[in-house]
Amino acid sequence: MNFTGSFNISASALTAQRFRMDVISSNIANAETTRAKVENGVSVPYRRKTVVMEPMKQSFDAMLQAKMNGSNQPVQGVKISQIREDQAPLKPVYNPEHPDANAEGYVFMPNVDITKEMVDLISASRSYEANVTALNATKAMVMKALEIGR
Amino acid sequence: MNLLGSSSFQRLQGGLDAANARNVVITNNIANVDTPHFKRSEVAFESILKMEMSGMKTSLTGKRTDPRHFVIGPSSKLPSSTLQMDQSSAMNNNGNNVDIDREMSLLAENQLRYNSYVQAVNDQIRLMRAAVEGR
Repeated sequence: MNFTGSFNISASALTAQRFRMDVISSNIANAETTRAKVENGVSVPYRRKTVVMEPMKQSFDAMLQAKMNGSNQPVQGVKISQIREDQAPLKPVYNPEHPDANAEGYVFMPNVDITKEMVDLISASRSYEANVTALNATKAMVMKALEIGR
Repeated sequence: MNLLGSSSFQRLQGGLDAANARNVVITNNIANVDTPHFKRSEVAFESILKMEMSGMKTSLTGKRTDPRHFVIGPSSKLPSSTLQMDQSSAMNNNGNNVDIDREMSLLAENQLRYNSYVQAVNDQIRLMRAAVEGR
C-alpha cells in the first residue's frame, strides 16, 4: 500500500496554490508601485506577475520503481515551473504632480487589474480547498485501513 | 487449510488496491486542476471485474492440466485495475479537461467504496475468527 503518494500529490498542489496566492498578493500590493526595479539607470513600474504550472516530472528512479512494483501509475503532482511577467502595456495616467511623471505629465502605472487579481485569488483559494478535501479523504482512508482485522 | 484465500476475499483485496490506486489518480487530477494542457486519468476496476464475473460467462471452459496453460472461458484469476487517460474531452480553453465537481464527487464515491470494502473484509475476518474460536 502506498498512501504517501496521494499525500505528496496533495501537498505539492497545496504548495503550488499557496505560492500562486503569494504572487497574487504581490500583484495587489504593488498595484501602485512606479519604481519596482531599475533598468539601465531608469526605475520602471511594476509589471503584473503570473505563475506557470505544470505536472511534476518523474525522476527515472521513481518510474523504474513503479514499473518494477507492477503499478502503472507513477506518483505525479504539480509544481510551479516559472513566474512570468505580464507583457501587457502599462497604463498611462495624467498626473503632472507625480514625481515619476514624464515631460508630458503622464505617469506609467503598473498593468495590474485589481478585478482580475481578485478573481484569480478566489480561484486559487477554491483550488486550495479542493486539495485540502482530497487530503482529508486520503487521511480518512488510511485511518479506515488501520481498522482492518480489528 | 485456506482461511482467507477464497476468491471473494481476493476480489475484495483487488477492490481495495483499485480504490487505493484510484485515490492517487483522483488526487492527482484535483492537484492539476489549474495546469494547462493536463489531461485527466481514471482507474477502471469494478467494470472489468463485473465483465469478468458475469458478461463473459460462456459454457465453454478449457480444462487446464498445468497452471501455465492458457485459460479458456471465464478465469478465476483476479483482474487488475487499469489506468486510462481521457484525451478526448476538453473542459477548459487551456486544454485542461479536469471537471472539479466531477472529481470531487468521484473522490467521495471512491472513499465510500473503500469503506465498504474494508467493512466486507472485516466481516470475512470476523466469520473466520468465529469459526476458529468456535463461538
